Amino acid sequence: MTDMAEAIDLKIAAAERCHDPYLRCAFYGAAQTAMGVSGSCVLAHSPQGCYQLVEIAFGWQSEDYTQTEILCTKLCEDEIVYGGETALARTIIEAKSLKVPAMFVLSACGPEIVGDNISSVCEELSMKVDFKIIPIECAGFRGSQYDGVDIALDTMLKRLAVDDKQKIPDSVCLIAPHANANPTWMADLAWVKGTLAKLGANVVATLTHRTTLSEFENVASAEKSIVLSHDAGQKAADHLYREFGVEQLCRGIPLPIGLTNASRWLIELGKALDVAGVAEGMVAEGERMVVEQCRRKGFDLFSLSRLSTAIVADATVGIPIVRLAVEDLEMVPTLVSLRSSGKAAEELLGNELRDLRLNPSVVYHTDLYQVRKSLAEMRPKTVFGSNIERHAAEGLDGIDYVFQLINPIQRFRMIDREYFGYTGILNLFESIQNDFWDRYRSKRRRYEARW
Amino acid sequence: MYKERIAFQGTLRQLLEKVERGEMIPKLQASHAPPCKFWTAFMVINGIRHTVPIIHGPTGCTYSVASAYKMGSCEYRGVPLEPTTCTSLGEANVIYGGERELLEAIREADVKYHPDLIVVLSSCCSGIIGDDVETIAREAKDTVKARVLAIRSEGFGGDFRSGYEDAFSAIMDLMDPPEKKMEDTINILGARVGPTYTEWAEDLDEIRRLVDAMGVKINAIIAGGCTLEQIRRAREVELNASWCYDWGQKIGQLMEERYGIPYSRTGQPYGLRATEEWIMGVAGPLGLERRAEELIRKETGQVMDEVQYLRQFFGGKTAIVEVTEYPGPIRALSLASMAEEFGAHPVVVNIHPYTIKERMPSIKFLLEQGQNPEVILTKGLFSLGTFRSSHETEEELKAIVAEYNDAIYLGNPRRYPDVPMVNLTTSTGYPHYGYQGIRNIATLAESAMRNSTRPRSKLFQQVLYG
Repeated sequence: MTDMAEAIDLKIAAAERCHDPYLRCAFYGAAQTAMGVSGSCVLAHSPQGCYQLVEIAFGWQSEDYTQTEILCTKLCEDEIVYGGETALARTIIEAKSLKVPAMFVLSACGPEIVGDNISSVCEELSMKVDFKIIPIECAGFRGSQYDGVDIALDTMLKRLAVDDKQKIPDSVCLIAPHANANPTWMADLAWVKGTLAKLGANVVATLTHRTTLSEFENVASAEKSIVLSHDAGQKAADHLYREFGVEQLCRGIPLPIGLTNASRWLIELGKALDVAGVAEGMVAEGERMVVEQCRRKGFDLFSLSRLSTAIVADATVGIPIVRLAVEDLEMVPTLVSLRSSGKAAEELLGNELRDLRLNPSVVYHTDLYQVRKSLAEMRPKTVFGSNIERHAAEGLDGIDYVFQLINPIQRFRMIDREYFGYTGILNLFESIQNDFWDRYRSKRRRYEARW
Repeated sequence: MYKERIAFQGTLRQLLEKVERGEMIPKLQASHAPPCKFWTAFMVINGIRHTVPIIHGPTGCTYSVASAYKMGSCEYRGVPLEPTTCTSLGEANVIYGGERELLEAIREADVKYHPDLIVVLSSCCSGIIGDDVETIAREAKDTVKARVLAIRSEGFGGDFRSGYEDAFSAIMDLMDPPEKKMEDTINILGARVGPTYTEWAEDLDEIRRLVDAMGVKINAIIAGGCTLEQIRRAREVELNASWCYDWGQKIGQLMEERYGIPYSRTGQPYGLRATEEWIMGVAGPLGLERRAEELIRKETGQVMDEVQYLRQFFGGKTAIVEVTEYPGPIRALSLASMAEEFGAHPVVVNIHPYTIKERMPSIKFLLEQGQNPEVILTKGLFSLGTFRSSHETEEELKAIVAEYNDAIYLGNPRRYPDVPMVNLTTSTGYPHYGYQGIRNIATLAESAMRNSTRPRSKLFQQVLYG
């Protein structure tokens, strides 16, 4: 066996000036995170266009429009020239009528460049309103949406976490479930919570999805944390460890997508929670269920065996899916193109590729141009990706299937579907098989029917 | 309850006067925000083929407009995926500026994508730090093959409308001096992305069908999927038209002033009268009145059953018109005009004073044309809280409807007053414009009448209003 570590082609998108990005900005990531706090009001201190990003974040957290409010200071030229603090103060006071438990004030590029001090405005007004005001400085230019998740979590933990909490035995804090490009990632979170319950652990805080303010206040009572993303959340886990001694579990292993990853993740968790036997039982039961369902429901993905594939995804889904493609579906990844780039994610992918003895082309922090170019050069038979790649692959002969698993997908999903765990495997197979057969559906009729 | 909840009741002209005098504040509340100037400028540019937009800003603005408009066009308007790029401005650029990066990005885009046109759009970031996108675009244009255009589109620099107008105005710089006149040829103005959010592609198909039937050719639909070449030749046409005076107004007016190309000022072709006006608005300046009259006669003959039905449906009734889906006043006023044509007394409900201010020239035009319907604004229209859960205005609408013995409702199916409700959502897939539109609206009216006693779905009610 050759030293695969030497052979792995780890490319990072060159320092190009003209990007066609897959990710939104830090402001959006912070909005996603703030929107995960139940019943909150998110105030965009920004021109009105940034309000649209908060609206999209609202959808990403599956918020209910009868419960969550979005406001915007709608800054115009006057506020950029003379400052927007007065507009911010006025809007916070107006929001008194909304009766919300907390307001997150997010500052966008404009007000941060002109030097609006949102912290001081929020502090000044905190005595005049009956809700908490949490300012988050998260201008879009501070980084990608994943940086925004980290910025918001950092601010929230520093402002809301209380340090005098007793540790709760077997308690866990879940971090960054929303930094996951499964379009219905909340099902992944639900699977993790259900799994932890079966393993006897108690989730004291989720940062963030339908999170109450008291969860933030109690986060120091957690004994352990789990980061549910390979794209964001590590900084929050480090902060919790540093400040409150919260030990991180399942660090450095792929999230539980696919048979091996699910097994490895569960076993690791079982050991850490001192219930290895229960975890082993869950693995055995889960694997049996997957096999039986595949037999009973007409699973027919054998045709994918040894077909080349490109994986174009976030790190959270993309890294674990490499193993699913190779081990469970016998496919051959020739390209792994990740939307983000973080040191831990790069190391993790590198380890996975070495372990699987794979030598695909790897691109971090990819953009659409890179993806299109790579697909055009490599012509993989299949692509694990999103609706974007479905369109980007148009006209590229030889790419027969684009499996839409990653956000954005073309299909409406009413029911949240997890990718984590054993039902997650079946959900992935179902999507893949539907896309596979769509390829063969008749697109035209050879003659007209006679009735 | 009814009177307590009314913020304004009068005519459209009276409302306009109040807005002009500052008695009704034309500003949306903090919970309601349309797109900014940058988003709308992008929408226009997205309607030109083989164009690479370079957004001189961070990735959030870029991915968001690409996701909303570029992908939307791929999914619903038959457009292939093309790039939406940016300079990914970061903190260092905010401190040191990003002009050099922009220049390099323009050159890079030319090599990477081989576009016909590169459009640089400034964002809040680049606008505030003072990067001069126009100068950089000028500097770049001699070193690239593509045409290069710059639009100052900082989000804080204007409301949504200014983005459309500045983009349309910039597009005019691409128009070459005419070498000849293209006979019986027109441009359709005012499209963005495809048509607009208040019309559907099928509405434009109906317009095209009617234009074709008169033997009139369309050079370009600006900017509804047109090419740079079509824009370059746009000054060779005999006439500019739009399916809606409002959308084409700015560029139509500018092309008339600068190049002397007449602009057909007509409203949206809802109903028989407005459709005839639209057709004659195109035919008249081209000297094709006889062909147009023949077309109108033939098409009208084919929809006479539907017209008769609509006269019976609307005759003597009060038509409550509310456009909540995209709360622009022009569509509401056009529908009111159609209701009046078929014999109803139209009452337009809840067109926000903000939209009156934003569309002032078009409102004035409609008043000059004789449209001056009754308007009612309720207090709920001005309340703070998400637009999607406008339960206050739902209750107020029901109260308004209850004041009339003979009301019918024209608008969005999210509403369900206790009267026949004509579902005029624009998310359809069939046209409301022109003669095809008359057929479709008659069908919708018939369904409204036949099912008027059925209750609102409990599910819909609870989902919408809690």
